[in-house]
Amino acid sequence: MECVVQGIIETQHVEALEVLLQGLSGVPKERVRVHELCLKSGPSLGVVPSEVRLLCDLAQSTPSWTIRHVGGSMRGAGAEQISVLVRAIVESKASNNVLRYFYGIGYKLDHELLKIGFAFRFHRGAQITVTVTSVNKLPKLHATEEAVPITPAIQLVEITAPAAADNYNDVVSAVTAFCEYLAPLLHLSKPGNSTGIVPTAGTAAASLMSSGGGKTL
Amino acid sequence: MPPVKWLMHWHPNPGATLNSQILAEASGCAESLGGSKDGRWKTSIIFYRAMARDGASAGAGGAPPQQPPDVPRELLGVALHERPGLYFSILRSHRLVLQADAAFPQVMEKLQSYKARVTLNFEGFQYQLGDFCLRIGKCVPNNSETLRGIMMEVEYYPLSSIEKSRAVMEDFFDIWQETLAKKSLPGHFIHVESNFSEYGLSDHYSFQHTAVQYATCLQQLMAAVTVRG
Repeated sequence: MECVVQGIIETQHVEALEVLLQGLSGVPKERVRVHELCLKSGPSLGVVPSEVRLLCDLAQSTPSWTIRHVGGSMRGAGAEQISVLVRAIVESKASNNVLRYFYGIGYKLDHELLKIGFAFRFHRGAQITVTVTSVNKLPKLHATEEAVPITPAIQLVEITAPAAADNYNDVVSAVTAFCEYLAPLLHLSKPGNSTGIVPTAGTAAASLMSSGGGKTL
Repeated sequence: MPPVKWLMHWHPNPGATLNSQILAEASGCAESLGGSKDGRWKTSIIFYRAMARDGASAGAGGAPPQQPPDVPRELLGVALHERPGLYFSILRSHRLVLQADAAFPQVMEKLQSYKARVTLNFEGFQYQLGDFCLRIGKCVPNNSETLRGIMMEVEYYPLSSIEKSRAVMEDFFDIWQETLAKKSLPGHFIHVESNFSEYGLSDHYSFQHTAVQYATCLQQLMAAVTVRG
């Protein structure tokens, strides 16, 4: 399982966000360059239609592949009340023939994206990963070198934390608490419940950039 | 890098059947060659079947489930004893061996496009014999004792190159055959020859090579054997 929230931030404020995250996390940022391929099952395959994502990490010298299945999210009154999405996730590392494998078993490429940016991974009540990326489309099949941002002025911020059935409440609390630190710069909410940019983010960003980070807002 | 490994399977003489006596004799030979027993091993092969989208025809009212068109009839999963954290999946039709980790079967379960139908276990004892390790095993369906085959793994620790190790493995195999021949058993072991290059595998031995050998071994076992438990 994982807990996840998302938000958007204007590209011009990403540097300030990086300063803030650096100060809050105390860890070095990691480069993110992930080629994400979304595959869907062919029309007659499977009890139900299915979707799987293949993630190719291009940030390392040798690309590495991960298979990712996103399952259903928690539902019900309890889930409605929390501001963090809790969903089932299964991931597996895979050898670099994984795309041919899924084509071979009847899956087809639905769309692909290239996410470029950075991430901070740290522990603050839970193992938290904050990823800030520009989401890019590929004009030609698999042409990652020719990727073009879908929304040049806006970047995606995603906060995820792994969770289990017996601890997700604690993880939700940790993520919610962390989100409050970022509130001056961005609104974070469940994926699909977009809350737009923070109108006063510019002021907060200016403050961060002038103080060089490390100070609370 | 794992050391080179050969798989052999028991090929019964025409009209002969399999029985556990053969297994006992083979184990006895390993010990007579100086092998010291040092534990059990188990590798599993899981057969997956493609599931059709039309639920009504999938087994309802006794009708056989339909095979969706344009997809392989079957997929194999391989869980090797030496690497419980890894999982392999073989698409024979495409000569493809995927290496994934132990969470992969959960991905397949969630996707519901292929379902695990039958699991065959290859299990038995292992023997250390100088630079060699012998694993002699029976092939049985999961939760059953019905003997479907007898096979063995021969691993040679010093080398990882398939070509460079060929001569020493052939010599070992000759010694093994001679020793076993004295027991006058109704059959003999055959080396499972796999076409690694078809699967895009190199001369440098890997776990993927082992997974491919198991898939080939299984094909040969199924073709060769009449079974009595």
